[in-house]
Amino acid sequence: MEKFTEKFIEEATDNISNLEDALLKLENDPGSTDLVERVFRSMHSLKGGGSMFGFTKLSDFTHHLENLWDNIREGHLQVNQGLLDITLQAVDHLKVLLKEKDELSPDTETTHKNLTVQVMKFLGEENTADAGEGVSDSSSGDSGDDSKTYYIYFDPAENIFDDGTNPLFLLDELNSLGQCKIIPYLHRIPVLHEMEPVKCYTYWEVILATQEDENAIHDVFIFVQEQAEINVHLLSNTNLFNNSSFLEQLEQQASGEKDLGFEGFRDMVDGLTAKEDSAEVADNRPAKGSGSKESTISSIRVESEKIDHMMNLVSELVTTQARLSLRAEQLKDSELEGIAENVQKLTRQLRDNAFDVALVPVETMLTRFQRLVRDLSGSLNKKVNFTAEGTDTELDKNIIEKLTDPLLHIIRNCIDHGIETPEERSKAGKPEEGKITFKAFYSGASVHIQVHDDGKGIDPEKIRKKAVERNLISPEASLSRKEIFDLTFHPGFSTAENITDVSGRGVGMDVVKRNLGEIRGEVEIDSEPGTGTTITVKLPLTLSIVDGLLVQIAESKYVIPLSAVDKIYAVKHSEVVDHFNNLIVLDGERTPFFNLREEFHLPESENETEEIVAVRYEETRVGLVVDNVIGEYQAVLKSMGKMYKEQEMISGATILGDGTVALVMDTNKMIEKFSSYQEDRNSIVE
Amino acid sequence: MNKEELEQITSYLTFKLGEEEFAAHVSRVLSIMEMTKITQIPKTPGYMKGVINLRGQVLPVIDTRLKFGMSAAEYTANTCIVVMEVEVGGENVQVGTIVDSVQEVLEIEKDQIQPPPTIGNRIKSEFIYGMAKIEDKFIMILDMDKVFSAEEIEDVQASTERGRQQQPADESPQEAVNEKHEAE
Repeated sequence: MEKFTEKFIEEATDNISNLEDALLKLENDPGSTDLVERVFRSMHSLKGGGSMFGFTKLSDFTHHLENLWDNIREGHLQVNQGLLDITLQAVDHLKVLLKEKDELSPDTETTHKNLTVQVMKFLGEENTADAGEGVSDSSSGDSGDDSKTYYIYFDPAENIFDDGTNPLFLLDELNSLGQCKIIPYLHRIPVLHEMEPVKCYTYWEVILATQEDENAIHDVFIFVQEQAEINVHLLSNTNLFNNSSFLEQLEQQASGEKDLGFEGFRDMVDGLTAKEDSAEVADNRPAKGSGSKESTISSIRVESEKIDHMMNLVSELVTTQARLSLRAEQLKDSELEGIAENVQKLTRQLRDNAFDVALVPVETMLTRFQRLVRDLSGSLNKKVNFTAEGTDTELDKNIIEKLTDPLLHIIRNCIDHGIETPEERSKAGKPEEGKITFKAFYSGASVHIQVHDDGKGIDPEKIRKKAVERNLISPEASLSRKEIFDLTFHPGFSTAENITDVSGRGVGMDVVKRNLGEIRGEVEIDSEPGTGTTITVKLPLTLSIVDGLLVQIAESKYVIPLSAVDKIYAVKHSEVVDHFNNLIVLDGERTPFFNLREEFHLPESENETEEIVAVRYEETRVGLVVDNVIGEYQAVLKSMGKMYKEQEMISGATILGDGTVALVMDTNKMIEKFSSYQEDRNSIVE
Repeated sequence: MNKEELEQITSYLTFKLGEEEFAAHVSRVLSIMEMTKITQIPKTPGYMKGVINLRGQVLPVIDTRLKFGMSAAEYTANTCIVVMEVEVGGENVQVGTIVDSVQEVLEIEKDQIQPPPTIGNRIKSEFIYGMAKIEDKFIMILDMDKVFSAEEIEDVQASTERGRQQQPADESPQEAVNEKHEAE
């Protein structure tokens, strides 16, 4: 049962976020019936599941909400701000209820009561929280009972108890849909000594008058479809429970031995109404999954742990395959080479497929951002319009997980410090409503995410001044525009007090940068005073694989990420040693270079020619001198562990086909490091 | 086996660095492997030899001699990498330690273990859990968690530097212990 409860919680969490998402969208598009349907459906599944797994409080509470939204669905109520506010609050409360189940903390209890009362008020009922079931939705003054009466035949398989299903719970749930008469048939129960207690011998006929549609009834049985015969038929378009002669006959049948069947009941009703045109002949469709579930059939839910495990295995496979290929080549066995080639092909496909599975669209984060924008702009009395583009851009799920918090922080900053109040904005000649644009797109081997606001922007001069005050730079330092904005990520900058007065930014930006660094992400900021700020986050597509260039330096092999590589040149050894200014002309362009043997304190190469790999670094190119380039290589990135955490120049290691380890360079960090060493060296010379 | 049960075990793996014999509790030892090609990591302290491939995982390797401030030695056929799992900052970390040779697995009862000498010891006394006299040799039992705790990595060099200055290098720990006993 534990396992089922877990499953329910997982599903309920999904339902809740789906609900939240629909509500937020409704805010912009209050007329959309599709969205109302979505809200309603999510609530409905929540309620059903809740009561089934013993989340009574959650189920009852959702029941009231559902009633409220049913009124909207039926057009008795209009979607408005107040209603959305209260529902969103209710959604938050549902999250708590899901956590606390039925043992509520005193705080939650109070919220629970308050919210229930508020929801009831919307329903036009001043009833207290404990009104319970049987709430009739008559707020619109529409006094007519628009319930329909259904006939339900429920005959569970004998072994239905085996997987823990209790048919009585299902009947209970039916009962909660409306007015209900449940007739059990016991005649199949054998004499005592023949009876097996683990078997179910009883079956039922149910007459249900409800406002729900047929799908709602099918929903009740959704988990037992396979293990029971279920027939649902519309018996009447009216509520037959209002018909006293029907009730009388029903009572008679209830004391009867054998089931009457749908035909029997229909005859009963026909005789009752004496109407010839039983126009609404019930459709004889066999019971089927409800519409709301159909959309999910094409995808399945997998634990993220399993995906992680699969990714690890695939990585191992890629490594092993490299070994096989190498061995086949060495043995010069053409048959083995053929097999190795095939394995390589398959491995590549499998790898692409596996990585594809682990990718998640950026969209999954959006609800949280929308909610943040909505709540924070509300509490700061600012008007903010949040739009998102490229939300189907996909990223490794581990990256997405670690990305949400930094992005939340960035957006919070946008609203808090970027966007001005409506008054300030109209004074500056801007529309009152501020705009935050979230944009995700692919760029080479990485994904860029841009958050742009059209707020007051940041004045680079002010950053500069503050940085000088904080002793981060000397007053004479000449910095590029980018370098100045980079200062906002400096830990010394962001801990400064009252930073909001200066730039409006910088609070915690160093944390953002550090968190993004953990997933090999980079962040840049650019701003135009008065017109707005753009923050760009660059992320690797996946954490675990790098397309790289395998190079040899002395006895070790290194991988340079292909995304950074621009071009490879052969050079004479004499050109790249004992250079005073470390500049070389490549393609007619003066290019700074670093001799990696020299930088790594390794003995000089004895070869006559070496190779220079030109990599992109910021806006320029930098050459890295290596012994020779071996070729392209797919590196499965492995962490080097805690012991080498301080080692920034190397982003990880990878295992080569021959079982040895190659190091994967982080060219940006490496060049950064080398240049700062050089500055040190130069300053010593001075 | 849980941690407590593991600690009940009285088995220790002994290994040699130079002429001195050390012991590590078996609960920390995962495997012993032959010396293999180590990939060096540029710009790291000398005792951090680099990384190797341990069944698909990248394992950092440390030269124990250098770490304890002894002189570097040529690797021989006896040189081994002892793969250990140590706790660093509350996390289990696997690390390979290069030792001159692995000796044996010894049973050392708790009451055989004496407190480590506080003075005249070449290695930082914090690294040493205790001393045991087995037959006529002294074995230093190491506290592997402390040896590899991240903060110690920096300290160890400084302290061994000092240690070497304070006492002649040829003085063996055995003598140091004897001295201590005489003092008592």
